Amino acid sequence: MNGLHDYTPIVGQEVIEQLQRLAERLTRRRFVHINSTRTGGGVAEILSRAVPLLNQLGLETTWEVIIGDPEFFEITKAMHNGLQGDRVRFTPRMMEHYREINRENAKRFDWEADFVLVHDPQPAALIEHLRPRAPKWVWRCHIDASRPQRHVWKFLREYVIRYDASVFSMSSFAQNLPHPQYLIHPSIDPLSDKNRDLTAGEVQAVMDRLGIRKDRPIILQVSRFDSFKDPMGVIQAFKMVRRHTSCQLLLVGGEATDDPEGPEIFARVKEAAAGDPDITILLLPPDSHYEVNALQRAADVIVQKSVREGFGLTVTEAMWKGKPVIGGAVGGIVLQIRDYHTGFLVHSPEGCAFRIRYLLHRPEMARRMGKLAREFVRRHFLITRHIRDYLTLMLFIDNPGSRFIEL
Amino acid sequence: MSDILQQSARDPFWFRDCFLMRMPIGRKASNLRELLQILREASEDVLYYHIFQSRLALTDPEIEYPNDFALWAANALQDTKLAEKLSSFDPFEYGSMSAVREAVLEILEEYLWDMPYVPWARPGFELYLCQAQTAVIQSPTPSYTLAEFCQGLQRVGLDSIYYHFFEAPWRLGVSKVDDFSFWIEYNFDLPRLVKDIRQIDVYFYSLPELRATLLALINEHMGVYCERTA
Repeated sequence: MNGLHDYTPIVGQEVIEQLQRLAERLTRRRFVHINSTRTGGGVAEILSRAVPLLNQLGLETTWEVIIGDPEFFEITKAMHNGLQGDRVRFTPRMMEHYREINRENAKRFDWEADFVLVHDPQPAALIEHLRPRAPKWVWRCHIDASRPQRHVWKFLREYVIRYDASVFSMSSFAQNLPHPQYLIHPSIDPLSDKNRDLTAGEVQAVMDRLGIRKDRPIILQVSRFDSFKDPMGVIQAFKMVRRHTSCQLLLVGGEATDDPEGPEIFARVKEAAAGDPDITILLLPPDSHYEVNALQRAADVIVQKSVREGFGLTVTEAMWKGKPVIGGAVGGIVLQIRDYHTGFLVHSPEGCAFRIRYLLHRPEMARRMGKLAREFVRRHFLITRHIRDYLTLMLFIDNPGSRFIEL
Repeated sequence: MSDILQQSARDPFWFRDCFLMRMPIGRKASNLRELLQILREASEDVLYYHIFQSRLALTDPEIEYPNDFALWAANALQDTKLAEKLSSFDPFEYGSMSAVREAVLEILEEYLWDMPYVPWARPGFELYLCQAQTAVIQSPTPSYTLAEFCQGLQRVGLDSIYYHFFEAPWRLGVSKVDDFSFWIEYNFDLPRLVKDIRQIDVYFYSLPELRATLLALINEHMGVYCERTA
């Protein structure tokens, strides 16, 4: 596990000192994170890195995970989709099961804390039972909730309003709530297996192991097999590109234990790519961070053609590897990619195909964009900035009403 | 002249870094009338954020449109005339945020008065209003001499440049006075340098440009590269 000081060469001594100064004010405070999966997906990835760093900074930080049956995760997936704007069925029976699982989980927990950060809708109802366990509760929404289905949000809002504050990834996701709302952008860890530097030999070894030949340019999308990530749109775009330029498409996805829709979408994607020798689909285990790192480094163009996105961590990962990224112009991606500068924002498979062709034919421009992209990530989207935001959030929540804190 | 670079100040300069916790207020403007209504009702912190603190936003500020309202008028309403009006207004001319609010409202009301229709934002380009809380961290070591000050100026983050230039007039209660010229005026006999720093029109500089301009001015007045002399 990396220590805080291992980040100094990347972010600078000043940044590390800032974190220590902030943490001094919070020494020995107990900070509990709660989410619904320990592996798979961006939230678990961030927590697995942030929790040890917060402990190194002197906060007593723990990470709790709620347990649910398959039906619960079907329900929370429906809630997730509904919050992202999909028309979903969300019945009183589903609401009751959601409450029931939260109630059961609440009985299991025996911690007490100073701050609790509850991630996403799955464990949001815990507050109903555990409120006295901590003076400050914050709800962290990682979802693009800019246009939620009303009945889903109305149900969830009843729990969210009991929190002391909520945190969103973009200002457009914020809601009408009776407590302070904050913006915190997700981040990546530059020293994790997913993002650390790899040698050319290490990259090649992974390619060999996965049976991928780099005999023609590689276009890559890494994401869960989820309809919001639009893997079908990527295949469509790729087929348009291939009419002009010889290339190959890699669709790489992992599985998350809280995503029951994955296998169904995966089957659909497989069918769409069946018999096409230029399309490779890889379903990797959730801990394949090293392999994903190597694939991103081997790729020529990286795509994240989402049609809804809270915040595309894969976009940031690719940018950190100095790659130009073509992203769907939705959610957090519009903040991560500066159009024409660090990548391209697109609105359709046609737009995506057009930009892929451009980058394949203009490698010097692709390199320049990639360089700018890496610097942009270094300044704004690394885990050290994320930790700084958590610490500052706690200080402000501890001092409600103050506009200004001087350290 | 370079002796003054090593002269010790009565009070040292403490660089301060600042960063914002952005706080969306949960309201958005889809058209100009909605913006007007929100700006009438929202706290002054919201205006402060969109006029000054947006300098610290992720994207570099567009020099042509130095505040969020002008930028939104140009990009979302696609109304260049309004964007020009909102750009040319100088918030540092007013003594308080309530006066700044009145000035912005006046521009918007006058503009709407003559319009046969209400300008709407393109879908997806609504303005989501925010405010912010600010955390300020004082640097561990002070600068006693101008040479140390110049070295510090090169080392500190852009957030610090923002804090000492943009936040200072409100904190000091003096229009168009920044922390840097304030410190130099109080500690050294360099009235021309002080005057030149105060003549920088901060509204038209990005933060890296402000840092470079300030260093260039000090070098010009000292006749040496001050940052290399500590």
